[in-house]
Amino acid sequence: MTQKMLEVHNLVKRYNGFTAVDALSFEVYEGEIFGLLGPNGAGKTTAIRTVMDIFRPDEGRVEVLGQPPGTDRERIGYLPEERGLYRDLRVLEVLVYLAELKGIPRPVARPRALAWLERVELVDWADRRVKDLSRGMQQKLQFVASLVHDPELLILDEPFLGLDPINVELGKGLIRELQGEGKTVVLSTHQMNLVEALCDRILLINHGRAVLYGPLDEIKRRHAPHAVRLRTPTALDVLPGVARMERRDDTFTLTLEGITPQELLQTLVERNIPVEAFEVATVPLEEIFIAVVREGKDA
Amino acid sequence: MRKIGVIARHEYLVNVRRAGFIIMTALVPLLGMLGLLVAAFFGGQASAFLERHFAPDTKGVGIVDESGAFTPILPAYEGAFVAFADEDMGRAALQSDEVTILFVIPENYVESGQVMIFSRGSGFSAAVMEDSASVRRFFVDHLLRDEVAPALRKRLADPIKPVLVSLEAEGQPQGGPLGTALNLMVPYFLGVLLIMTIFTSSGYLLRGVAEEKTSRVIEIVLSSVTAQELLAGKVLGLGALGLTQVVIWLVSAFGLSRGAVSLLGVSIPLLARPEVFALGLVYYLLGFLVYAVLMGAVGALGTTMQESQQLAGIFSLMAAIPLMLGSFMFSNPNMPLFRVLSWFPLTAPTTMMLRFPMTEVPAVDIVGSIVVLLISIPAVLWAGAKVFRMGLLMYGKRPSLAQVVRALREA
Repeated sequence: MTQKMLEVHNLVKRYNGFTAVDALSFEVYEGEIFGLLGPNGAGKTTAIRTVMDIFRPDEGRVEVLGQPPGTDRERIGYLPEERGLYRDLRVLEVLVYLAELKGIPRPVARPRALAWLERVELVDWADRRVKDLSRGMQQKLQFVASLVHDPELLILDEPFLGLDPINVELGKGLIRELQGEGKTVVLSTHQMNLVEALCDRILLINHGRAVLYGPLDEIKRRHAPHAVRLRTPTALDVLPGVARMERRDDTFTLTLEGITPQELLQTLVERNIPVEAFEVATVPLEEIFIAVVREGKDA
Repeated sequence: MRKIGVIARHEYLVNVRRAGFIIMTALVPLLGMLGLLVAAFFGGQASAFLERHFAPDTKGVGIVDESGAFTPILPAYEGAFVAFADEDMGRAALQSDEVTILFVIPENYVESGQVMIFSRGSGFSAAVMEDSASVRRFFVDHLLRDEVAPALRKRLADPIKPVLVSLEAEGQPQGGPLGTALNLMVPYFLGVLLIMTIFTSSGYLLRGVAEEKTSRVIEIVLSSVTAQELLAGKVLGLGALGLTQVVIWLVSAFGLSRGAVSLLGVSIPLLARPEVFALGLVYYLLGFLVYAVLMGAVGALGTTMQESQQLAGIFSLMAAIPLMLGSFMFSNPNMPLFRVLSWFPLTAPTTMMLRFPMTEVPAVDIVGSIVVLLISIPAVLWAGAKVFRMGLLMYGKRPSLAQVVRALREA
């Protein structure tokens, strides 16, 4: 994970005096799944469109696969948030055309498209018109359209929007498979559970600026409440270094002060308190997201 | 360049299958064929029909011969032509329906050729009668009865019974008034067809762009190609589509022309002036480029198909001005108004396509309009591509004029 697949440095993009992206910097490394998060209107899509050479930056520098945006479109797959397909064309026809636009010769594009349709259980629909597909099927088709040319870098803007849980699982599995094959994925989404399940590193932007950036584990640790969760059948007395104790059934959440979780565990063992489960409490990413956005904290 | 080719092929194949294109392409030859069959079926009977309906019964033609050349009436014409001693008696006979038409041949007829024709109906029946074969035979037979043999008199009255052998080899047979009309009308309507092709092909471009925008497929496409490549591919593909239509029409027009020769004895002057066609195609290509790029840009500006079409209507209206002024153009294709329109990029292609078939257009207008178009096309391409790029990704809101101007300035 050392090669930079994407490098954004001090990117600024303005529309009619409104700054949509403000001095944004981040990097995406080869083989990782990178989460791009932010509330509506934060500037995610603008940043992505600049990376895709659909918009030109007002200031700053963007390098995609080591080159300026738009230089090597064939090695990038893109699933935009605002997306659709040629409704009157046939499913296979659409995939072959979009693959050809990415430089794949027609004779290669056709079998490859069929293989992908097989993989997402749409092969029986290959000769049907796009408008005959259900919304979920169209979503899957759009997903396939972004990677039928076998890109090295895949940029997915809200890829699971409108998918049922079964197809979300299918999509998650595909993204993990792509990572296993060495592909790099940039995932922009509001669905925090997906980010937690898939991403290695994240960037949270708000008002066009970076507010959280780094490895997901580290960010979660940094925002952890310094507490542990303990399940025990016995009632607990006052414990040294525990500032606050909350109980729900037989699970206690203990807020620590001046001691580490290991020291607490040692105390529990010394006092012969039966421990059925013990874990360092973490905060769901969604809570960190809401808190950071509300408080306008810096990363 | 390869991607432009992929887009061009895609646009061509998608649109060539459209029902609208197939119907439009087939309709013109089919209508031509139908017209030919109708003309062949009814054409031969037309003069008989006219005589039957408008020419009075030849038994009732009154003659007042003051010149003496028609007295007495030859036996072959007795009954059909009735002599009267003077004009008053002839008029009285006309009033009492004894005759339905009266020819008064004055004393100096041989010198002047003047004949007064009286009728009670419309002047049309008199005109038809004057030109009828039986009256012509009556006059020739009587004028030359003592000097020329009957067979020669018959030939003089009806000198040509045409037997057509080969049109191309023997030259263009003249079709009389019909031929003259065709000489003017056919190239004119071919010009109109070329203009229609420009509008339909660029209309497909407008529709295609608007559809790609409203269906949100545009951003996926723009991640693979630049806006300029997309526009260029569309223009090329749909230009080829328009040419396909023109070629099909031309091939069928030549087929119809051969049919017209064998069925009607009239040549359709398709290549009477080949330079009209050559320049017509030049203006077709230049005109298509101008309108297609404009339609592409306008298609990208609208938020819905309807809005795009409304915006496009402004340009279509401008381009259609020469068509609307067609009747003035017939009277004087070189009048200053049409010369000015020939020098304005948006009206130049359509004006020139219509002027060519009608007259000898001054060379300065041809060179000038082509130069103006060649200069303006890169400008339209440049500005169109900028507006196209800006408009493509503006969903739900049409860009203001200020934004369009800014996009052009920032480019």
